[in-house]
Amino acid sequence: MGNTNNWMDNWLDSQQKYWNAWADMAQRGMKAPEAPKSPMQEGLNQWWNAVSSMAPPVGREVFDRLMDVSKGYFSMAERFMAGNQADPQGGLEAINGWLDGMQKMWTDWSQSGANFRPDAFFPMGQMKGLTTFWDLPMDTWNRLAANVVPMPGDFTQAFHPEGAQPMRDQMNKFLSIPAVGYTREAQEQYQVLAQKQMDYLAAMQAYQAAFGKLGVETTQAFQKSLQVRAQEGKPITSLRELYDQWVEMSEQAYADFVMTVEYQTLYGRLVNTLLALKQQMARMVDQTLEAMHMPTHAEISTLQCRQQELRRDNLKLHKEIKGLQAQIEALRKAVLQPEQADEAAEEAPKAAVKKAAPAKRATPAAKAK
Amino acid sequence: MLPFDMRPDAVMQELTNYGQKLSHGMKNLMEVGEISTGVTPKTVVYREDKLTLYRFQNPNKDAITSKVPLLIVYALVNRPYMTDIQENRSTVKALMDAGQDVYLVDWGYPDRADRYLTLDDYINGYLDRCVDVICERHRVPKINILGICQGGTFSLCYSALHPDKVKNLVTMVTPVDFQTPDNMLSHWVQQVDADLVVDTLGNVPGEMLNWTFLNLKPYQLMGQKYLGLLDTLDDPEALKNFLRMEKWIFDSPDQAGEAFRQFIKDFYQQNKLLKGGLEIGEPVSLKNISMPVLNVFAEQDHLVPPDASRAMRGKLGTKDYTELSFPGGHIGIYVSGKAQKTVPPAIGKWLDERS
Repeated sequence: MGNTNNWMDNWLDSQQKYWNAWADMAQRGMKAPEAPKSPMQEGLNQWWNAVSSMAPPVGREVFDRLMDVSKGYFSMAERFMAGNQADPQGGLEAINGWLDGMQKMWTDWSQSGANFRPDAFFPMGQMKGLTTFWDLPMDTWNRLAANVVPMPGDFTQAFHPEGAQPMRDQMNKFLSIPAVGYTREAQEQYQVLAQKQMDYLAAMQAYQAAFGKLGVETTQAFQKSLQVRAQEGKPITSLRELYDQWVEMSEQAYADFVMTVEYQTLYGRLVNTLLALKQQMARMVDQTLEAMHMPTHAEISTLQCRQQELRRDNLKLHKEIKGLQAQIEALRKAVLQPEQADEAAEEAPKAAVKKAAPAKRATPAAKAK
Repeated sequence: MLPFDMRPDAVMQELTNYGQKLSHGMKNLMEVGEISTGVTPKTVVYREDKLTLYRFQNPNKDAITSKVPLLIVYALVNRPYMTDIQENRSTVKALMDAGQDVYLVDWGYPDRADRYLTLDDYINGYLDRCVDVICERHRVPKINILGICQGGTFSLCYSALHPDKVKNLVTMVTPVDFQTPDNMLSHWVQQVDADLVVDTLGNVPGEMLNWTFLNLKPYQLMGQKYLGLLDTLDDPEALKNFLRMEKWIFDSPDQAGEAFRQFIKDFYQQNKLLKGGLEIGEPVSLKNISMPVLNVFAEQDHLVPPDASRAMRGKLGTKDYTELSFPGGHIGIYVSGKAQKTVPPAIGKWLDERS
């Protein structure tokens, strides 16, 4: 804990110095020197790397997420501040520069048909942290895909834009070779697998391209909203306000887009192609297991299905037996009640003993039924 | 006027404060301890497979004024402790305070052996046996049911199939029309091949549903929410509450494959509960719902839009139909302070008038 406090103090101290230096430059009207890396983000990273191992499991993920968001937030702040120093328009130039950069990235990306790799468009760490803001829907998909297919992250991220088309061409050539010979079936399975991969890759790229377009629209909507605020005399007065405005505009643009038929088709195709790929993988794994005389997934699935059917039948029979027992009990009572009533009148103390007898007489009635 | 009015020193102060909050929050995180959920004492009255039927213990027996026990039927998605998440935010406790004798079905965490559980198994099997257990314990022919979200849809189906066992039905944030124009989830799944999903995955992973739900509002739920956390990090109790909610959000059981397949196809894709043609063991008709119904929904619900619940109106067989609209969201209807004060007491009063 003492160690943690030291790290916290050091980090806060360095942070304070950093901002003091910024303030000093701002007061003197100096332009801040270009830094290839973001000092705030780096500081944050160092601090979190040092203390995160001491964080309890409870809440660790929450803080991880908070750190990711913080990096993006600090990056936004630094971009804003970097242009704000000598900007007579109070940061407008900086924001516009930032948003123009974002628009260029989205446009280039959506036109390239490549996967989203901001570093391909913004080298030198220029966009570091910012994608935490812009990439949230894709980030959630990547997590989902990683959960479904046993590959680290979304494996399509490994396909570089410049290599995507040649790879597709090569794959198509490979897939056009007819499977022949002793291993024909195995070859066909691999060809099907490759085709499923290609299908998923194409679906993924179409999905991402649509998000590139959405990125451009979101950026424009954000810029427009800033203009509206200026016209209405409601300027943004804090970074947090700026961030909240961005969230509002992003969420609105996103909500409009994901309710279109275009998105419905893209999403359906993305999910279906991913699962078709996974299904083919499972099929091939099963073939290998079968060759090794091990139980396959399909066999276990069949057993599970039959077991459930048996359980269902069993429960149904239980219920029927219970119902029949209740009927027998009701019949028994109906048959015996008059006797009991008579006996009770004659010999009240023996009533308890007499009660047991009818059970024997009730049995034939149940059998006859 | 310019769109910004931010002085550099003010921005720097804002960032410095940010760092301070972060570091103080870290200290609080170190000391946060165990995160408790499901706070009201309860006893197990029935178990079957992964299912557990609980009865909540009311320390004051005289406080139970209702003669008819109330069974809460939660969704298969997420965990039912949302209804009893903490001492001062417990729908269960508030219902008990309103004089109800409360039971709860906990569906548990299905595993691969449960992959072939169908909606028939859940509704006419598990749920029906839970109702029987309660009826036997209390020696009553009928009980009251409170269904929540998907559990509400299940309760509607159950009530339609077994109207002789349900005295009164309360539905909370329950979809009936699965294809209202503002239903984002429904819009997304229309072209998803549910057969392929289930045939490939078997059970549907809870994480898959989690990320889908987060994608309904990704910028708020994966970004802004955490930034908002900063403002409460210095308050250990508020941090604990936040972590408690996070625990619940990401505590998602896998979905039994066959039940998921039928739910997506029959409800989301074909909207059979509303349009007709639904079969769960037997044909399900909302017209069979002859008991009194209270339909509670949230006006700002992004998961189950209010219109999806309101669609119940005029479709049921009962003449005793009441709506209760709450000005909040899908989760707020259980945990917000306002909901605690208004919703459970209103449910209790409505039930008492009919029990």
